[in-house]
Amino acid sequence: MIDDLYYIEKHAYRTSIVHRLDARVKLLVTLAAIVAIVVLPYSTKVYELGLVLFLLFALLWAASRLPPTAYLRRLLLILPFGIFLIAFQVFVKNSYYDVFHTIATLPFGIEVYAESVEFASILLVKFLVSISFIILLSSTTKMQDMIEAAGRLGLPREFTLTLGMMVRYIFVFAEMFNRVRTAMETRSFDPLDRTLPYRYRLRQVGYTVGSIFIRSYEQGERTYTSMLCRGHGANTGLYIRRKNLRTGEMAFFFATLAFIVLSTVLIYLQP
Amino acid sequence: MHIPDAFIPMGQALIYWVIALIFIVLALRWARRSMGEEKIPLVAVLAAGIFAIQALNIPIPWGTSGHMVGAALAAIVLGSPYAGVFVLTLVLLVQGIIFGDGGITVMGANIVNMGVIGGFVGYYGYAGIKGVIGNAYAAAFIAGWASLFISAILCAVELAIAGTFPLELGLTFMGTYHAIIGLIEGGITAVALYMIASARPDILERPAGVSA
Repeated sequence: MIDDLYYIEKHAYRTSIVHRLDARVKLLVTLAAIVAIVVLPYSTKVYELGLVLFLLFALLWAASRLPPTAYLRRLLLILPFGIFLIAFQVFVKNSYYDVFHTIATLPFGIEVYAESVEFASILLVKFLVSISFIILLSSTTKMQDMIEAAGRLGLPREFTLTLGMMVRYIFVFAEMFNRVRTAMETRSFDPLDRTLPYRYRLRQVGYTVGSIFIRSYEQGERTYTSMLCRGHGANTGLYIRRKNLRTGEMAFFFATLAFIVLSTVLIYLQP
Repeated sequence: MHIPDAFIPMGQALIYWVIALIFIVLALRWARRSMGEEKIPLVAVLAAGIFAIQALNIPIPWGTSGHMVGAALAAIVLGSPYAGVFVLTLVLLVQGIIFGDGGITVMGANIVNMGVIGGFVGYYGYAGIKGVIGNAYAAAFIAGWASLFISAILCAVELAIAGTFPLELGLTFMGTYHAIIGLIEGGITAVALYMIASARPDILERPAGVSA
């Protein structure tokens, strides 16, 4: 995951109409799209809303001028756990249907149900839409901008300060992590090398974890001390300058929000 | 174990968010009181370190690899279950919003599973077992294992309540898998604790002893 940090940030630092859009608008639109697809009850109506929201996502992704391969690469990284849960659905009954029809029987008495396949596909649509919007948000918005946006939206300073610090140091530790990895490689040590005794590998990895812990704690101490030197105190907060939304941004925000809410309500209400 | 969006219906997801928020507020209060109000940045930097620790590939006996959660380690070293909650909340926020690992609506559930359970089971498991058997490293091993195992069981129960994964299968699969991964979490927690106790004994269970 840590390798993707640079990959994501590299995309976030590009420029396009979507990149330049105020981070508050992007945060809220992402949240609205995710809430909309999650709120719609598990039914085949999810396909329709899923399609509508996915088209909205695709439009915004195209406007961001990021390559489709970047989206696919990030999607592949996120999929595994969700896909495992979804793929499994077809073999089990769930509480959302009353009657189950077997469509295939596999060895060991395992059965595949038509309703479970439908339920799995509904979950898949919901899952894909949610993560697509997250990928769009993080590929077009710098982390620091997101934190400032959250602060402007009213997130308390305790959170903006802490998150701001964390996000800054994630990159420092990503560098450190890479140095640790290089050090292991230059010594021909691979934690997954099965020719080495298991206890030995575990001990080495444990020491590495311990040393990363100490190094991050000590970095914390140094950072804290230097912050004190610069006047840090109990009431310090992240400085967030006031920023008004432009008319275009306001218009885009309300139009998109209305579009998401209306599509959800209309699809939900249709017979 | 990061539950993605849509696997828990909105109503239930909100309940987990409320529970998580209560613990987040308590964790903030802990950070203010016990670390000193202005020392919160130190924990934030540590959270970034835990993020790096989670990136480390860890060998699992059958040749596959897993990752540490680290909530138990943070709670044991900093001497409070809230350290686990605080650190994991920050890590899960970044993982959910930047990487898409773990959903937004279900983040409350993920914070409860990994941060709250990880921190509380890790810390109190460690303190309790250490009191009985007297060996800190064996206690850290069991606490680390239990923190992961119980998190996974809770995750399976939440998915069963949500109706998106049957209980027996969830308990069997998630339970067995994490009972094994938990051995590694426990092992690494114990070894890392030994290493920290040897190199920087002053930071262990004495969060107030930070040199300012």
